[in-house]
Amino acid sequence: MSAVAWWKMSTGLALAVAACAGGAVAAELDEVRRRGELVWAADQEGGGPHVFPAPDDPRRLNGFEVELAGMIAERLGVKARFQQGAWDRLPLLLGGVADCVINGIESTPVRRRDYGCSRPYFAYALQIVARRDGALVTPEMLVAPGPRGPWQVGVLSASAAETEMRGRDPAAVFVRSFEGTLDSLEQVRGGVLDAAVLDDCIFTFYADRFPELRMVGRPFNGGVYTVLTARDTPALGAAIDEALGTLVADGSLEALYDRWDLGGRQQMLLIRDSADVAPAAVPEFRELLRRVVPTLLQGAAMTILLAVVSFPLAIVVGLVVAICRQYGPRWLDRTLSVYVEILRGTPLMLQLYAIFFLLPRVPLIGVQLPPLVSAVLGLALNYSAYESEIYRAGLKAVPLGQFEAALALGMSRLQALRHVVVPQAARIALPPVTSDFIAMFKDTSVCSVITVMELTKRYNILSLTTGRFFELAAVTAILYLMMSWPLALWVRRLERRLEPPGTGPAG
Amino acid sequence: MIEVDNLSAERSGQPVLRDVSLSVAPGAVTVLVGPSGGGKSTLLRCLTGLAEFSAGSVLIAGHRLDAGPQPVATLQAVRRDVGMVFQQFNLFPHLTALDNVMLAPRVVLGLLPVAARRRATDLLARVGLEEHAGKHPSQLSGGQQQRVAIARALAMQPKVMLFDEPTSSLDPAMTGEVLAVVAELARSGQTMVIVTHDHGFARRAATEVVQLAAGRVVARGAAGELL
Repeated sequence: MSAVAWWKMSTGLALAVAACAGGAVAAELDEVRRRGELVWAADQEGGGPHVFPAPDDPRRLNGFEVELAGMIAERLGVKARFQQGAWDRLPLLLGGVADCVINGIESTPVRRRDYGCSRPYFAYALQIVARRDGALVTPEMLVAPGPRGPWQVGVLSASAAETEMRGRDPAAVFVRSFEGTLDSLEQVRGGVLDAAVLDDCIFTFYADRFPELRMVGRPFNGGVYTVLTARDTPALGAAIDEALGTLVADGSLEALYDRWDLGGRQQMLLIRDSADVAPAAVPEFRELLRRVVPTLLQGAAMTILLAVVSFPLAIVVGLVVAICRQYGPRWLDRTLSVYVEILRGTPLMLQLYAIFFLLPRVPLIGVQLPPLVSAVLGLALNYSAYESEIYRAGLKAVPLGQFEAALALGMSRLQALRHVVVPQAARIALPPVTSDFIAMFKDTSVCSVITVMELTKRYNILSLTTGRFFELAAVTAILYLMMSWPLALWVRRLERRLEPPGTGPAG
Repeated sequence: MIEVDNLSAERSGQPVLRDVSLSVAPGAVTVLVGPSGGGKSTLLRCLTGLAEFSAGSVLIAGHRLDAGPQPVATLQAVRRDVGMVFQQFNLFPHLTALDNVMLAPRVVLGLLPVAARRRATDLLARVGLEEHAGKHPSQLSGGQQQRVAIARALAMQPKVMLFDEPTSSLDPAMTGEVLAVVAELARSGQTMVIVTHDHGFARRAATEVVQLAAGRVVARGAAGELL
């Protein structure tokens, strides 16, 4: 086939595909009209003034974006239906679950490349917030280390504030990412963080709740919010954009912002004069890898550190619990069974949250542990409950005659356990224990809720800043496999070595 | 060496021993016989503190056991001086034959590895198993396992050896090899109490035979007169 023929054919093919896609697009808008609902996604955990549960009735939603979604839907001749999602993952709901995202999504080059972005509907800027009695007094201080090393700064995960702060000199600013907007403000109030950086309208909205905090300097690094739609639904995107245009033109958007005390007149000027953000270029895969792999490896190192430190602790605590329950007095068994059931019966994420966020507020014994220590403690305690049950089963499986034979030789109970019973129980427990170890490698990802930057967290941030969800997910999965696979092989060898010769494969 | 005085024991409310008295002189071999459930094994377990008793007392190897729970120190002292061989061998399956024999001298007596190894090697030779020192219990026959168990008990150099039906789970050929070891021990002057159903062996080895039934001593005497 000649080059010309090839070019003609591929062009024809491309046109055919585009025509089909165009048909699908129009169908998408028709589908919204037929359904009579515009499904818009947001995260009510993100809080005010955007979208938040009404204080008097948590089932009802409040927020200027709730009203905005209603106004856009009305212009399209349909009703608005809210779809909850995790804020940093909202764009992934597009196409299947939601028609659009309206939730303080900043217009960025990567988003303009990967999604349909409407005209701006709101202008924000970043605000630094610190304790009134804190060391941080001016924004300029954030370019050099503080009195106790790098400034500890909290941001909302995947927000423009996070991108801004992570772009700074790590020697001057140490960034901690939180899943909720208010978490970082709480940590600043508690003195754990030196500052929080967030969209100005959020702090304005919550300022009364945090009288100990003050704004440091004026808002900076402004940008605009956009309504996101999927790339392959341009007709829907255009309809939403047009609806926004009429809301601006007839003054109802300005009136909305005035009702919410967000300075309607100034907002109208800011979005009128905001410059268009150019879409980002698609990075070549090799270039992408070169940029992300070192950061992902850093995350993998943290994942290994968490598992390798937490698991031995879990083993020791679990063994002590199992032995006390099996051979100790009845009251101890009862007490420890409560310990085990509480740890097994509540989510690890909640336990980490309690250790990191709630423990410091307990009167008298309250102590604020650093994130890494909290993570290790949480993982170790949680897994100790599971390990103790495995050892208990192992201890029960060792015949009583073994314990008696050891006692009959003059050993103390402790010596009998140490030299005779526990080594045999350990062999029985080895396969389930090691499969738990591999499970822990994956459970470490939960630690991101208390700002520990392990592998999954690194993936989240990188995939959001680059927009390359699939490629990075593959790389991340490979990294996890590179950790767990050799471990599984090593365990199999260990099991073979520990098995007394002449016994079956089950030991 | 052993004085059992009016011993009574119960298990879950049921009497299993009633007013049992027994005396074993140093170097003597006492064989306990009688129907199953007659209390022979319980009596043996009372002698080394593995079972508690409700009344009476036991003097054994210079230690005294009384009714009810006994102090841990007393129990350990008794067990250091009283060896026990079980029907099911109860060898430690994760250790080699040599390590099975070495463990208690090292852990309980604090022997250095070199000394414990020498003692264990000698004892395995005495029961005819020096070739099998490196094997695990699962690689040994029942008779070999029981001989290792005897060597393991002897490694503590006990003043008294107790045997609880040592050949009941063995076939006749293996029974022979184990009893040969026990007979050799008897000749060497080891004080022993043996529970067995093997009347032929009792006749050959016993200084005295004691017959228990329903928890009571129903007969005692020289093996020749009783069996």
